[in-house]
Amino acid sequence: MKSSHALILVFLLLLLTWAGQVALGFFQVGRMEPILDEETNYPKPPAASGLAQTGARVFASEGCLECHSLSARGPTGSADLTRGWGPRRSVPRDYLFREPALIGLSRVGSDLSNIGLRVPETKDLMLHLYNPRQRNAKSNCPPHPWLFDTRLAGTGIENEALPLPSRDWQQLLPTYKAKALVAYLQSLRTDYSLPEAPLK
Amino acid sequence: MNIPSSSKTNLSVGILLVGSVSWALLGAGLQVLATLQLLVPSLAYLVPIPWIGYGHIAPLVSFLFTYGWIASGFLGVLLILIPRISGILSPSGRLLTGAAIVWQFAVLVGMAEILWSGSTGLISLPFSRSVTALFLLSYLILGSALSRGLGGSWKSGPLLPRLYLLGALLALPLGLGTAEVLLRGGLAPGALQIIMQFVWHSFLYHLWLTPLALVFLFQLLPALTGRPAGSLSLGLLSWIATIGFGGWVGNSLASEGPMPSWLQSAGVIATLLLGVAVLGNTLLLKPLLDGKWEECRRQVSLRFFAVGFWSYFASYAWLAFLALPGVRQTTTFTMVGQATQALLIFSFYGNVLAGAVYSLLPASRSIGWPSHPALTLHFWFTTLGAALIALAYALAGIFQGLALNDPGVPMSTISSYLRPFLVVALAGQLFWWLGQLAFSSIFFASLLKLFPSVAPVAIFPPDREATKQSLTPAHP
Repeated sequence: MKSSHALILVFLLLLLTWAGQVALGFFQVGRMEPILDEETNYPKPPAASGLAQTGARVFASEGCLECHSLSARGPTGSADLTRGWGPRRSVPRDYLFREPALIGLSRVGSDLSNIGLRVPETKDLMLHLYNPRQRNAKSNCPPHPWLFDTRLAGTGIENEALPLPSRDWQQLLPTYKAKALVAYLQSLRTDYSLPEAPLK
Repeated sequence: MNIPSSSKTNLSVGILLVGSVSWALLGAGLQVLATLQLLVPSLAYLVPIPWIGYGHIAPLVSFLFTYGWIASGFLGVLLILIPRISGILSPSGRLLTGAAIVWQFAVLVGMAEILWSGSTGLISLPFSRSVTALFLLSYLILGSALSRGLGGSWKSGPLLPRLYLLGALLALPLGLGTAEVLLRGGLAPGALQIIMQFVWHSFLYHLWLTPLALVFLFQLLPALTGRPAGSLSLGLLSWIATIGFGGWVGNSLASEGPMPSWLQSAGVIATLLLGVAVLGNTLLLKPLLDGKWEECRRQVSLRFFAVGFWSYFASYAWLAFLALPGVRQTTTFTMVGQATQALLIFSFYGNVLAGAVYSLLPASRSIGWPSHPALTLHFWFTTLGAALIALAYALAGIFQGLALNDPGVPMSTISSYLRPFLVVALAGQLFWWLGQLAFSSIFFASLLKLFPSVAPVAIFPPDREATKQSLTPAHP
């Protein structure tokens, strides 16, 4: 075999691998558009707010993906939906406005593709971030106290402060990162119907 | 094997190998810390520091092992090997030294980024764009030097190592460059980003590191055993299958979700066909080791290569098993991913790298490997450690998958199921770390020429039984 022939063959094989997945993938999922809701005229999936997009980066940087997935499967071949992790399976269109689009690596913790639906309250999510064992004594999730500031309460406790007993007139306030992360978690919900994944 | 001396590349080789050994030690220590946190979650409550939390350490360990230990080590030993088989010396020693420093600097910056601000969350791309630029810049120089060795001697010597090198040399810039442009350049919307992450993951492991490891197996095993690899046609077929299907393997790791169904099916078929390529390479390489038991017992590099070769077969057989319908649905998002990583990185790449270092470094730097007990410790501790880690994570992943598929089992119960396996994995990681410490002690001592050059090729110290037998006079 001549070196030039080998070079061309390798280049073609690599190109085929790349184009076969990325180019064909682009034509299939890269050109997808949101579906407009006939009643509300809102797009499905809904576009994430800027704060939620910042939160996606906080989610990634805190390493949440090491233990949580972002893809509900089923109904056949998986117990995700029976576990209450979502009203339907995740499909490519659900990731349309996600930046970055993440999927996760492992499920040491539960799937979070519908956490916004399962735990909608901001206070609950904030408490979980500060100390997961506050809500579930058996939780393996590590605490994230660095996402909160301790400040003097002044004349009164601020509305955003965590509902935790405080010492020395202090209060725990979420940082911008914590607010962004919670906004992202609240944006994770698939309670809308899509042609390829209808709600039942 | 004809090995002319080359002083031009010595410094760059030294930098790459010293970096590789150091990153491996650091990664192994951090790996123990990460597993401890998973095993005892209360540790995070006692010491809540973000940069040593599991979320930062886990991606960092993977990064250090892949880019720091294996990639750096492979590039270092290739810089010794390729000029020797091609007879073409590298053009500029200073340029290569600069490139080797840039590679280490990229690993250092990547490590600092992941520790300080966390991972990007992208699969196999946990670092920023500037680190990618540093890696590509360094690889441009190192890869060019290596590719010079391909042209001159194409018609002489074994063909397969050169073909695998050619594939690997092109795969990294194509995969990393396009992943960077598409993922961070805003050109891949939505689910296409996830497809691109899996493509890059496949390129990194199955089209770059695996072909590089095969370069050493196909070049050095025949040289060490004195037997040529058999059928060239089978070798060519396996090579085409490896390069053709390797880039699709990652898709078989996804089940449903954002990945289109046809891509998942293509991933499954590619993984099974890649298994056929691995079988072909096994048929070519196995006869080289047949009947060489005594030599494998004695010669350090040959023993590491033998374990690395069988780990190659085991890794891809495991991947083919995971791709089977039913198994895939059960094991997605479980700890089988860590088992695959342990098999590929610790057993396959790690053993091939160790074999190549033991075999090539003495000839390159005119140093000797003393017949020291640390050699035995290195082999047994790393082999036992890797086996324990892979086995523990494989079983943990299968149990985890089965339990996740039973909605009656709460998540806290699944976590408690995993604890015994994590203890075994932790023991394996400690063994592996000790083995790596033994290797580093002898590596640095040999590099600093603290030992006399008693043996150009590393030989295991004779065991007591063998010594006794050799000392006992034979009866007439």
